[in-house]
Amino acid sequence: MRDRSAPVSRRRMLGIGAAIGAAAAGGLALSAAWARRPAETGAELRSEVPLPQAFSVPLPIPPVLAPVASTADGDRYELVQREVDAEILPGFATRLWTYDGVFPGPTIESRRGRHTTVLHRNELPVPTVVHLHGGRTPAASDGYPTDLVLPDGWNGHGGHSMADDRAAVANLQREYGFPLDQRAAMLWYHDHRMDFTAPAIWRGLAGIHFVRDDVEDALGLPAGDRELPLMIADRAFDADGQLAYPSVDPTLTGEHGVTEPYLAGVLGDVVLVNGAPWPVHEVDTGLYRLRILNGSNARHYELEALADDGRALPLVQIGSDQGLLAAPVRHRSVPIAPAERYDLLIDFGDLPVGAEVRLANRLGTGRTADVMQFRVVRAGERTPIPETLADDLPEWDRSAAAVVRDLAFRAGRMDDGRHGWLIDGLPFDPARPDVTARLGDIEVWRLVADVHHPIHLHLVGFRILSRGGAEPLPHDAGLKDTVALRPGESAEIITRFDGYRGRYLFHCHNAEHEDMGMMANLEIV
Amino acid sequence: MQRQSTIAAPPGTAVSGWVLRAAATAQLAAGFAQPVFAGVYLSGDFDGLAWHVVGADLVSYLGIAQVGAAVAVWVRVRRAWPFWASLALVAGASAQYLAGMDGALWLHFPLGVALVAGIAAVFAAVWARPLPRRTKAAPDA
Repeated sequence: MRDRSAPVSRRRMLGIGAAIGAAAAGGLALSAAWARRPAETGAELRSEVPLPQAFSVPLPIPPVLAPVASTADGDRYELVQREVDAEILPGFATRLWTYDGVFPGPTIESRRGRHTTVLHRNELPVPTVVHLHGGRTPAASDGYPTDLVLPDGWNGHGGHSMADDRAAVANLQREYGFPLDQRAAMLWYHDHRMDFTAPAIWRGLAGIHFVRDDVEDALGLPAGDRELPLMIADRAFDADGQLAYPSVDPTLTGEHGVTEPYLAGVLGDVVLVNGAPWPVHEVDTGLYRLRILNGSNARHYELEALADDGRALPLVQIGSDQGLLAAPVRHRSVPIAPAERYDLLIDFGDLPVGAEVRLANRLGTGRTADVMQFRVVRAGERTPIPETLADDLPEWDRSAAAVVRDLAFRAGRMDDGRHGWLIDGLPFDPARPDVTARLGDIEVWRLVADVHHPIHLHLVGFRILSRGGAEPLPHDAGLKDTVALRPGESAEIITRFDGYRGRYLFHCHNAEHEDMGMMANLEIV
Repeated sequence: MQRQSTIAAPPGTAVSGWVLRAAATAQLAAGFAQPVFAGVYLSGDFDGLAWHVVGADLVSYLGIAQVGAAVAVWVRVRRAWPFWASLALVAGASAQYLAGMDGALWLHFPLGVALVAGIAAVFAAVWARPLPRRTKAAPDA
C-alpha cells in the first residue's frame, strides 16, 4: 500500500493541471461561439413575407407641417393621430398608427424661443400622449405617461397598470405648448403612453421636430435638398404584410409588455429609413448634412459610409442630441442607440458621378448590415466644412455639483413577479418620487448598466464626463440627452436642472425596457 | 512524545520559495476579491468599478512579482514549473485586463473564472510540497 504521506506524483499534478486547463479552454471556446459578439440586447423577429431588394425604393422625406396660424407670439399646428394603410413593403398595405396619416409623422420646423403650440387629436383606438424628446418643455406639456388623451368612446379609465392622482387626462384632443427656449437641434416627438410606448412607436407614432437658431444659420451648413432628416427604425412583418410585434395583449388595452423571448427588446429584420425599407437616395458630388435619428425600439447601429470602391467616407460629426458641437469630430463610424441623434456632414466630392455609397451597419448581420444607399448622379459644388461650430455649449464643472447620484439600470422582477427592468432595484411607479432635484442645481449622475441601456433624461441636456471610469469617447462630445451604456458599462454625466419645475422622467430608451419598468420620476422643485 | 521525521534531513523551503508562496497567497486574495468588486459595481455602486481596476492592477503587479520569484525558484530550487505556471497566469491576466477595458464580456467572464481557478491551483501547488534550496553538492534525492 502506498504511503499516505508520499507526495503527489508529478504525473498526477500534470493531470490535474491539464483538467483545469481543458475546462477553462472549453468554457472560453463555448463563450466565444455562443455569446453575441458584438453584444446585442434584444431578440429579432423574422418577417414572414418576401422582403424587397435593398436600395430599390426611393428615400421618402417626411412632409414639413404647415402651421394653421402664425402670429407674433408663435406658431400653431394641428395634428390628427389616426390609422392608415400604407405601402411600406412593395405590394402590401400595412396598417399604421400615424400622426396625420404619414410615417414618420410630419416634420415640424421651429425657431429658438418662438412658441410652438401643437393640437393633437386622438382618433386611434387607444389613449395616447405625446412627448417631445429633447424638448425643454414645461412639465404640463412634457407628455408624462399618464397624461393621456382618451379616444372617443373610451370608457373612462386610463387603461394602464398604475393609479396616478396627478394625471391630467383629456378627452379626444389637447394642446401641447413648447416654448423651445433651447439650442438648435433635431428633436423628435413620439407616443409616451404608460406601459404601451414601445408598440405605439413600432406602429408608427414618431416624427421629427427641428429647432433652428442664429448660431446654426451663421455657419452656412448644407440646407434644403442637402439636409436630409433620416429616421432609422427596424420593423418586422407578418405573413399578411402587417407589422409584427410580440405584445402580450395585441389590442394594447390590457396586459402590458411583450412575450418572454423578447423581454430584452424587440428587433426587426427590416431596416426602414423614413419609413422605406433600405432606400436609395440620389445625391450630387457636394456636401450633405445628415440629421440621423435612431427611432428603433431596441436596435443599436454602428453606421459607416462605404463607397463602392471599398473606401469608407469620413463621417464628420457637427452635432449631437442637443445641437451643434464646438468643433467637428471626424469618425470612420458612429454608434447610435435608440433615441440618439447625430448631425453629420458627408462629402461626396471625391467620388465620380455614378458612384454608390452604402450606409452600412457594422453591428448588423445579414440584411440588417445595410441601412440605405446614396447614388451619386451629378456634379455638385464643393462646400468647405467649418472648422469651428457653436460657442454656446454649456460648461459645468464637477466641483460645482450639489449632488452626486449613483443609479443602477438592470434586470429584475416587477411588483407582479414578472421579469422586468429596474432602476435602483425598483420598477416605475408614478406615485413615487425617485429623484428630487432643486431648480438651478448642478448634479453629477453616475449610471451603471447590466446590458445595453440608452439612458434618457427629460427636460435637460447633459455633458458626458467619463465612460467606464475613463475619458469619454469621441462621439460623446457636445450636449446629449441620451447616453448609450453598453453591457457592464458606466458613465458619469453632469447637468444643470434649469428651465421649469415639475414632474419629469428619466428612463431607458430601449422602448421595451421602458414599458417594463425602467423609468423613474425626476421631480424638479 | 516526539514525532519522528521519516526523512533524515527534512527539506526546508528556500527563501525564494517563501517569496513565491507569499506572492501566490497575495495573488489568491486579490484574485478572489475581483468578482466581489465586479458584483458591487454591477449592483449599481459606481465606485465598485474603481476598486475593480485597483484589483486588476494589483493582480497584474503580483503576477509579475510572482514570475520574478519563480525565476529565483527555478535557479535556487531547480524547479521550472512555478515559472511557467506564473507566466501563464500573467498572460491570462493581461488578456483579462484588455477584455475588461474593451467591454468584451463574453471573454471577460469565463476568462476571469479560469484565472481564479488557475491562481487557486498554483497556490495549492506551491504550498503542497516543500521548495528546498538545492546545490550541486546535494542533488535531487
